[in-house]
Amino acid sequence: MAPGDVVVAEVDTVIFHDLSLYLTGRTFEQEVKGQRILHPERVVIVFDHFFAPATEEGARILQANREFARRHGLPHLFDSGTGNCHYTAIQHGFIRPGAVVVGSDSHTPVHGGLGAFATGIGNNSIAALTLPYGTAWFRVPPTIKLLLQGSLARGVTARDVAQYLVGRLGEDWAGYKAIEYAGDLLPRLDVEERLLFPLMCIDMDAKAGYIEPDEAVAAYIRQRTAQSFELVRNDPDAVYESVQTFDVEEVEPQVACPPTVGHVKPVTAVAGEPIQYAEVGGTPGGRLGDLRRLARVLDGRRVHPDVRLQVVPVTREVFRQALDEGIIAVLHDAGANIFPASSGSNQSTNMGALTAGQAMISTHTRNFPGRNGSPEARIFLASTYTVAASALKGRIADPREFLE
Amino acid sequence: MEPRVKGRVILFGDNINTDVIIHARHLRTIDPAELAEHAFEVLGDEYPQKLRQFDILVAGENFGCGSAREQAASCLVGAGLKAVVASSFARTFFRNAINTGLPIVECPPVRGAVQEGEEVEIDFARGTVTTPKGTFTFPGLPPSVMEILAVGGLVPYLKRKFATAGAPPPRAG
Repeated sequence: MAPGDVVVAEVDTVIFHDLSLYLTGRTFEQEVKGQRILHPERVVIVFDHFFAPATEEGARILQANREFARRHGLPHLFDSGTGNCHYTAIQHGFIRPGAVVVGSDSHTPVHGGLGAFATGIGNNSIAALTLPYGTAWFRVPPTIKLLLQGSLARGVTARDVAQYLVGRLGEDWAGYKAIEYAGDLLPRLDVEERLLFPLMCIDMDAKAGYIEPDEAVAAYIRQRTAQSFELVRNDPDAVYESVQTFDVEEVEPQVACPPTVGHVKPVTAVAGEPIQYAEVGGTPGGRLGDLRRLARVLDGRRVHPDVRLQVVPVTREVFRQALDEGIIAVLHDAGANIFPASSGSNQSTNMGALTAGQAMISTHTRNFPGRNGSPEARIFLASTYTVAASALKGRIADPREFLE
Repeated sequence: MEPRVKGRVILFGDNINTDVIIHARHLRTIDPAELAEHAFEVLGDEYPQKLRQFDILVAGENFGCGSAREQAASCLVGAGLKAVVASSFARTFFRNAINTGLPIVECPPVRGAVQEGEEVEIDFARGTVTTPKGTFTFPGLPPSVMEILAVGGLVPYLKRKFATAGAPPPRAG
């Protein structure tokens, strides 16, 4: 198998959220028609956009999905409030090293951080091939190796480095290619922090991101599934299109500014921008580590009166653990609003609309104009530390002063 | 899909993302005509109507980046566009365009060679785009991909393929 070959691969896990299942289900029943789902047990459905529908349309979409799952005997439906689709799939043991994972969410490559091959494909691709035949077609991508070397400076997290790479390399830098992340930074990060790199590879248009799984990944997976798996290792003679090295020591906290994910600046260049909303949630935020970081900055302080700080845990399990650690009390007392485990304000499906002139800073993944309400609202993307500091100040703020 | 298409050009820049092409709030349908009523609406309410007056969309680098929604391709089919020519495509859009039967051409010089409203002609067999400023060549798509485009996308392609002669389903390999 060489770059450029087209392969038909067996799919181990298909991930749907409520919106993608609704569309795929309609394509499957109305256009593909008359087919059975070959491996119902490989399909993971998570209602993460509509966590409590405020419209009749939202209620109808969820109900249609429940009925689709029942009709086709799909056993793994995680209803509203369970979590974000990717972390729910991880939490319930559907992602293992060596697995082929697809979904129509563009951030599906996140699972490459656990040693899976994972990529986003269209709903019709899933309806026509993956559901009836258990397969998907792929053109084998060339691979670029990115070596991330060094330690992170104070107040800097994997999010900042991943975002820095997008700004530095460009939004189309890795088109049709895969990126393998390696280097001595990665073993220093916990497994969930490493996931930020493959997660954000899509912002450089990569097909997939990958990190060679190690014992830390194996332990992380074993906590979530009893199913056996092999710790896939790189071929000693693996061929890379190029190998590039980045020293991360100098990276500062980074902010992606409107209108695109590639418009990345150091926080010092945008500090002072007034914001009305701050949110910690979405696939790159709302994990236990994020809630701990948020609590570290907020402990004993109050959110600025002009700001609504919204906290969205990625899974119920994260919420539960945060309760046990006293984190939820710290966030609550600081004035944060806590939302159910979900995808939060992502594309303002169930929350998070902005009107013209407003601004939000969040840990989410996209900042295109109009993504959350008015095209004249502004969306900034940053690490949990930077979102936390900004929520305290009412303006985009450098988190380092809170992390002495 | 026609072997040659000719028509008036609507012009876009670099890094046009799928949130701009079709907003997330309209992702509740798979009907291309219904989706076309909202194509590029983020740029102004007149855009869905404006789009219908053109035949070929020409853009710069990384067209269709961002969210992987296939409606970004199918809404352009619904708006009556016959092809998209860009300097480069985001991978997810490229795949979705093939699967929804929207012909795509990667040909970097075209973006700088046409003005909005001018006519261009694409010859898929010869791999050429003819503009008022000259003719440019592009590498053709693989025959397997052309077969999918020829019948209007992946779903009709597979239905046709498996309906004839009881062909077996694709196997993993």
